[in-house]
Amino acid sequence: MSKRRATGLLLTMLALTGLLVVNVLPLLWGVLTSLKPNGDILRYPPALTFAPTLAHYERVMQEGFGHNLQVSLLNTLAAVALTLLVSVPAAYAFDRARFAFRRPLYMMVVACIPLSLGASALIIPAFVWFTRLGLTDTPFVLPLIYAGYQIPMAIWIIKNAIEAVPVEIDEAAVIDGCGHFGTLWRMILPLARPGIGAAAILAFVGSWNEFLAGSVMVDAASLKPVQPAIYAFVGFFGREWGPLTAASTLAILPIVVAFALFGRLIISGLTGGAVKG
Amino acid sequence: MAASPTRSGSPGGFCAGRMPSLSAAAYLIPSVAMLGLILLSPVAYALWFSLQQIDYGAPVGFVGLANFRALLDDPSLAPMLGRTLVFTAGSVLLAVVAALALACWIDRLRGRLAVVVQLLAILPWIISAVVATLLFRWVFVHDLGLSFAALRALGVSPVQPLSDPEGAMALLILVAAWKRIGYAVIVLLAGLKSVPAELGEAARIDGARPWQQFAFVTLPLLRGPLVLVTIVLTLSNLNTVETPLVLTGGGPAGATRVLPIEIYERAFVNFDLAGATTLALAAFALNLVMVLAYVRLVRLHV
Repeated sequence: MSKRRATGLLLTMLALTGLLVVNVLPLLWGVLTSLKPNGDILRYPPALTFAPTLAHYERVMQEGFGHNLQVSLLNTLAAVALTLLVSVPAAYAFDRARFAFRRPLYMMVVACIPLSLGASALIIPAFVWFTRLGLTDTPFVLPLIYAGYQIPMAIWIIKNAIEAVPVEIDEAAVIDGCGHFGTLWRMILPLARPGIGAAAILAFVGSWNEFLAGSVMVDAASLKPVQPAIYAFVGFFGREWGPLTAASTLAILPIVVAFALFGRLIISGLTGGAVKG
Repeated sequence: MAASPTRSGSPGGFCAGRMPSLSAAAYLIPSVAMLGLILLSPVAYALWFSLQQIDYGAPVGFVGLANFRALLDDPSLAPMLGRTLVFTAGSVLLAVVAALALACWIDRLRGRLAVVVQLLAILPWIISAVVATLLFRWVFVHDLGLSFAALRALGVSPVQPLSDPEGAMALLILVAAWKRIGYAVIVLLAGLKSVPAELGEAARIDGARPWQQFAFVTLPLLRGPLVLVTIVLTLSNLNTVETPLVLTGGGPAGATRVLPIEIYERAFVNFDLAGATTLALAAFALNLVMVLAYVRLVRLHV
């Protein structure tokens, strides 16, 4: 028995080490590279000790990366706000109200979860179409598109959260004189907060990481978000890994912060099972 | 109007009176309008667009199915679809098998460690495909990267996989799987948690060995989550251009030119909007099949 436990412990340690090497090491090594002087980046074998420098960060800032970060932050926050603003009432109605076509309509929303994953297939006709509508190359086109991608999943997660709030709460609120909006705002929202938080954090991650719409729908440098900017850097900096890793580090910083603060919410959001990959 | 089937937990009778259809509509219209504009209207436009003659990116006249015929006549189509099949099947299979193994392992961990391991597992999934692929390339497949240095230290002289067609495809499959394993782990783990422990217990008392328990008790009960993960990962691989774009750029010599990158290059490198749209619609039809399978599957546990 104790031999089996020792084997189990050994396996756990091995698996844990493997996970750290494969999933964490690339990020750590990326951060280290971004702080190395050029000579140390090119040194063989790879240097573990070096005099850290912020030169690569200054370099990407000179290329306008600070502005890209700002654009992405604004886009993402606007997209998250819009997603919640639209999804919370919809989720409430889908769960608590009874109306004609409720089920087919809800099925359509659920179908839009994987559909938004495949939306990139149609990015070219979407580009031509949105250009006709006068939406492309405007500051609000990306927040709109990102919210559109995130709304189906958010409705799903928030509806599940509202479903878990007992109807007796609504009844009590009504007796106390709340209308249905008051019931939603004062009673249900506070109780559904973890679900709403999970929806918000997944919308944040999805919008921040989006690449294709960001590179197609806006052309002006002043509107370019982070991911297309980094892809442009790959061509621009070529084999200069200092600036490339510096930009990468800055680009994953908000995600890592969100992850550290709300990692459990991300897992609980995913656990619903409907979320896209 | 409480005609819809009741769900567990919230019987609908009471609220039916509370919220008239008119207010329900007010609550729903913004979301339905957004989905219509962003996700559905481009599909309709694409259908119309694909039936037009396209000159310099602008539709100039109806040509029926000519664009689709041109697509089918293109001799590069079949090999591209073959590469896409290899890529998608390989990377989905690898991700699902690895995720299943990881999920079974995490399922046995207790307390804080279980949470930490889950967080470590989804790390590549929450990082953008551009950055994740870029960093993977720098650390694991670069001449100056860590893994090459480690191999040299062990006395092995590493070969650059990206310079050889099979190596590049294998690496693309690996990176695409690596990026998504975490998502699959979380979904499968949730599935494992819902397998009642008594079933495994009963099988053990009946004399089942651990692998028999896994194959005949656990695996059949995981069918739903496994199919769901397979569908989502297939969709994800068929529609993500970033990983091949940043890792291989479709090379060497077109060896990793898979569907998403083919559409991207047709549109933005060759400026063949008609060809790109037609191909995108074909890809979309493929997506739709999986979307329907997804809805059927999710419906089971709505």
